Amino acid sequence: MSSTTAFTRRGFLSASAAVGGAIAATPLLAACGNSAGKGGASTKQGIQAVLPTYKPLTGGATPDFPSVTGAAGAITNPGFLKYPTTLPKTVTGKVGSGGTYTGVAPSWNPIPPASNSYYDAVNKAIGATFKSQPGNGNTYSTIIPPLIAANKLPDWLQVPGWMVSTFNIGGLVGTKLADLTPYLGGDAVLEYPNLAAIPTGGWQCGVWNNRLYGIPCHTDGMGTAGAIFYRKDVLDAKGITPAVKTAADYKALGQELNDPKGGVWAFEDSRVYLYQVFKVPLGNWYLDGGKVKTAYDHPQLLECLNFCADLAKAGLIHPDSLAGVQASNPSRFNAGKTLIEGGGLGAWNDGDAKTGIAAKPGYLRQAFPLFSHDGSTPTVTLTGSSGWVSYLNKDLNPDQIKECLRIANYFAAPFGSYEYNLINFGVEGVHYTMSPDGPVRTAEGSNTAADQIYNFFGSAQQQLYNAGYPDITKANAEWYADAVKYATPQLFRNLNITVPDQYSKIAAGTEVEDAANAVARGKQPMSHYQDAVATWKSAGGDALATWYQANVVDKGLA
Amino acid sequence: MAVMADSAAVPEEARPGPQAPLRERGGGDQAPVKQRRISFRVRLRRDKSLLVMVIPTMLVLLVFNYLPMFGTVSAFEYYDPIYGFFHSNFIGMQNFNQLFADSAFWHAFQNTLVLSLVQLILYFPVPIALAILLNTVLSTKLRSFIQAVVYLPHFFSWVLVITIFNQMLGGAGLLNQFLRQHHMATWDIMTNGGMFKYLITFQAVWKEAGWGIIVFLAALAAIDPALYESAAVDGAGRWRRMWHITLPGMRGMIVLMLVLRLGNALNVGFEQMLIQRQAVGPQHAEVLDTFAYYYGVTGNNFGYGAAAGLFKGVISLILIYAANKAAHRLGEDGLYRK
Amino acid sequence: MSTLEPLLGRRAKAGAGTPRKRAKGRAVWEEQPTFVGQFGKGAVLTVVVLAVVLPLYAIILTSVSSEGAINRAGGSLVLVPDGLSFAAYREIFSNGVVTRAVVVSFAITAVGTFVSMALSILCAYGLSRARSVGHRFFLAAMIFTMFFSGGLIPSFLVVTQLHGYDQYWALILPSCISVFNILIMRGFYQATARDLVDAARIDGAGDWRILWSVVLPTTKAVTAVMTLFYAVGYWGSWFNTLLYMPFDNNKWPLSYVLYEYVNVGAKMPGLDTAGSGAAVQHQAASPFAISMAVVVLTLLPILIVYPFLQKHFTKGMLTGAIKG
Repeated sequence: MSSTTAFTRRGFLSASAAVGGAIAATPLLAACGNSAGKGGASTKQGIQAVLPTYKPLTGGATPDFPSVTGAAGAITNPGFLKYPTTLPKTVTGKVGSGGTYTGVAPSWNPIPPASNSYYDAVNKAIGATFKSQPGNGNTYSTIIPPLIAANKLPDWLQVPGWMVSTFNIGGLVGTKLADLTPYLGGDAVLEYPNLAAIPTGGWQCGVWNNRLYGIPCHTDGMGTAGAIFYRKDVLDAKGITPAVKTAADYKALGQELNDPKGGVWAFEDSRVYLYQVFKVPLGNWYLDGGKVKTAYDHPQLLECLNFCADLAKAGLIHPDSLAGVQASNPSRFNAGKTLIEGGGLGAWNDGDAKTGIAAKPGYLRQAFPLFSHDGSTPTVTLTGSSGWVSYLNKDLNPDQIKECLRIANYFAAPFGSYEYNLINFGVEGVHYTMSPDGPVRTAEGSNTAADQIYNFFGSAQQQLYNAGYPDITKANAEWYADAVKYATPQLFRNLNITVPDQYSKIAAGTEVEDAANAVARGKQPMSHYQDAVATWKSAGGDALATWYQANVVDKGLA
Repeated sequence: MAVMADSAAVPEEARPGPQAPLRERGGGDQAPVKQRRISFRVRLRRDKSLLVMVIPTMLVLLVFNYLPMFGTVSAFEYYDPIYGFFHSNFIGMQNFNQLFADSAFWHAFQNTLVLSLVQLILYFPVPIALAILLNTVLSTKLRSFIQAVVYLPHFFSWVLVITIFNQMLGGAGLLNQFLRQHHMATWDIMTNGGMFKYLITFQAVWKEAGWGIIVFLAALAAIDPALYESAAVDGAGRWRRMWHITLPGMRGMIVLMLVLRLGNALNVGFEQMLIQRQAVGPQHAEVLDTFAYYYGVTGNNFGYGAAAGLFKGVISLILIYAANKAAHRLGEDGLYRK
Repeated sequence: MSTLEPLLGRRAKAGAGTPRKRAKGRAVWEEQPTFVGQFGKGAVLTVVVLAVVLPLYAIILTSVSSEGAINRAGGSLVLVPDGLSFAAYREIFSNGVVTRAVVVSFAITAVGTFVSMALSILCAYGLSRARSVGHRFFLAAMIFTMFFSGGLIPSFLVVTQLHGYDQYWALILPSCISVFNILIMRGFYQATARDLVDAARIDGAGDWRILWSVVLPTTKAVTAVMTLFYAVGYWGSWFNTLLYMPFDNNKWPLSYVLYEYVNVGAKMPGLDTAGSGAAVQHQAASPFAISMAVVVLTLLPILIVYPFLQKHFTKGMLTGAIKG
């Protein structure tokens, strides 16, 4: 009914993004994250000095959809239709040396029992005991701060990008979280070949104050804010082929589909995904003639809120969605209670298809091609290269850190390798059986391996692959190949910025987000939002813009 | 009710008043007989077992109630969990200055007062009326059946109560699904910010009003039936008897409950708000307790949250004092005598 | 502090003596009831009773309804029995989380209630004798905690500094004392069996013996009611789990499972029966029925215990409250 996620917008985003497990979406929040502290950012030279050397792996599986390069250096992730039949090993030699490490990460999947045969199999392979302790992704942002305050920081912690400021990572690096520069900076990373193959943009998300702390996970060549999806199966059944080119088309389609009496609504509340349609600068800040400005009072944002409120007032949005109720397993969209929703691209995968088909055979999710509110050339915003960075505890000694990095290297094995197969699917015959479509989880595997937790501590560059659903991969790859042409990076992309303490609350902008929600859901007039923005600006928002200007932009970092 | 994290958040009127059973017994205090003074040492030996019995509870209170009171020192720090109470930056009143300049805080304070006031006006009379009504049911069996039913929700946790409400009245709940199927307009109850104060009052009534009647039934039972009889003989009708006998007979209890309610004005149901905050938005559901939780614990700004908590504690104390003063003015005892 | 003391010595203004035994039927001097009055009264009381009974009925029925029945009811609660199925219960008991949560909840409730009652009985008795050493101080110290608290955050910081994070005691000890309950019990101990207590003391019985063999046997009603109060509190408590123990679902009590899976909407492990790949099975039970089954599980112990203790509320609380 309700979640305690303080930052629903982002929580919701990731929740949809992560359904099914293969996480491809990155958060909308600025760059890799803001954090409170004394204030400061890295310098251009500093970052360059600590970044690990990039060395792609050679060999491996050939993608069916090779990467496509588009605008602003965006490059799509490779796509695979079939699971490779031979699974070469990429890690040689000893991995662990018998240590025991606890890893905490969010999970939007059913959380398996604390000890199970899948965990055992992975532990055996890595020669160490990796204790996975997933927390519910929907409440992760509220349960980690108490954990930190209780001084119970685990050995290894996954920090989603949009929680960086809530967790005060800027204050924890160096004091609680280990500096990995000596182990990974420059050529040192070559000792861990799978980590060295992670694109540089990802590593940049782990740099704080000119030192490297984080291990990027799910690094994406083209992290985007997301897309708007519809239930293709339902629309097909109704004989509707959507041609959504403008916001008006979008609304009209909704009116055609809406059927509250039958328990079906056209839309989920998709405010943040409509921002992109309305060309609102994502990431809260943008540059206007070299000056940092807040996106909160961008005219397009106001227009988008009006549009959302209009949808809400027209009764086109599911009441639970307006209430902020998160439903998963199956979500309202999966269950056919809503037909159109915004979501991260990660929501468009095999896991989603399975959940949907379990609710209704024939279930099919499809994304609208990019469109803009007025029919002009659309844009897609490039967000941080890695929205998921894992950190090691500073209490670990150098040998333990090296052991963890060898484990991370194991976790970061690329798609199609023996290691990738093991950490994602477990043991053949026990957790999965091999079919022409790739591994099929057994009941045991579904209850254990489905949490996909290991890749939150280390993972190779993203790829597109959906076991048993090559059509989804194809549709996905085509969507990306189209979208990459319109890519524009958001401000402060891939930069960790520590804002001074006094701005920490301002940077989070919670009240503004809450007000935006209230307005977009038709519960408050626009003036309510404008008041909230005005208050926010005078309470420090304007000053924060000036601070960014002086400490980040004017130093040539943006 | 008693063991929840913030047991004070339970509406006080839900509890039977701490009146009579707390009284000193055995004529001790009022006894005119002057006792010989016994030396402290002798009394200590005499009461040794009693002290041993009390000590465990005192230790628990010391650790979990009094230590946290000293823990409010974090309200004057930029509390950093890395450094703890003793090594965090002491920043004096800065948290409070920031707090008092924070519109979200004042908004939470305002919400707290409004919700409290609405509850006072709409909730408070319900148990009284229900008790009077129930008292007129003559069949003992029927009466105890009804009592058993209305007491029941008192024993449900808020998670349960709100789940039940959502299933009955929520956007996809029983009522709205019924309206929808019969082609009527739906009624947005659970997520409507403007309605929220009435919603939570309704929830409080559902959960606690039944239980709240216990003390009033007790007060009613104590009224001498002979009074009614003589009034009836004098020709007073049932309404006049209610006005002149029943209500004055309950007056002491009503005032006591009112004082307790006022003293707890800032406790408007932490869990109730926490669970529903997302559904109606903090605009309507943020109260001082949830503010402290969201900005302090989950916002990782412990000093700030502690400052908000301390502010609330102090105001509460003042309210209790003021409510008692008012009770004394009315010629009642309130919580304590002058 | 001493100003609080009269709270304990409050004069009962309510009036005369023991509660009157209600006369059967209507007194001769009372008017005959009007039809409108009777009807109105009946209507109000019926609504009041239905407001409690109807939701419980619907939730219990839904939890044992088949997926078809729920769909026919429009996807919300089922009011008319229409195709029963216990699949939801089979489903939740076949996955470890709910089963373990039931065990954990019972354990926390049992241990917590025992600790609370032991402390409360001892403390209430320890403070029940007038003019015993320090009792005014102790009482004042207790009562003060009813009116002032450091707030959520300092308590959290204290518990975590004592290494309570992820420990079961953090779900029990910080809230194991209800000063209010102790005051009520103290009142009872002072009121009951005064003669027996005095007699026992003259016979040379110590306080422990008096408590055990005189006071407790004569105050069973209040013991029963207080046990219920404490037990219900532990049974329904979920927030401390969110604060101190949100990670390990092996350790969660049932109320938190309810919060996590029904209120927050997390996925319950073991219910995701769909295989990876083309082979997809349908879930055996409707997810909604499963949610309602979890609700029923949290309700059930209360519904079962309640009738046995309910009679004590009036007997215990009321007479005690009024006798002063």
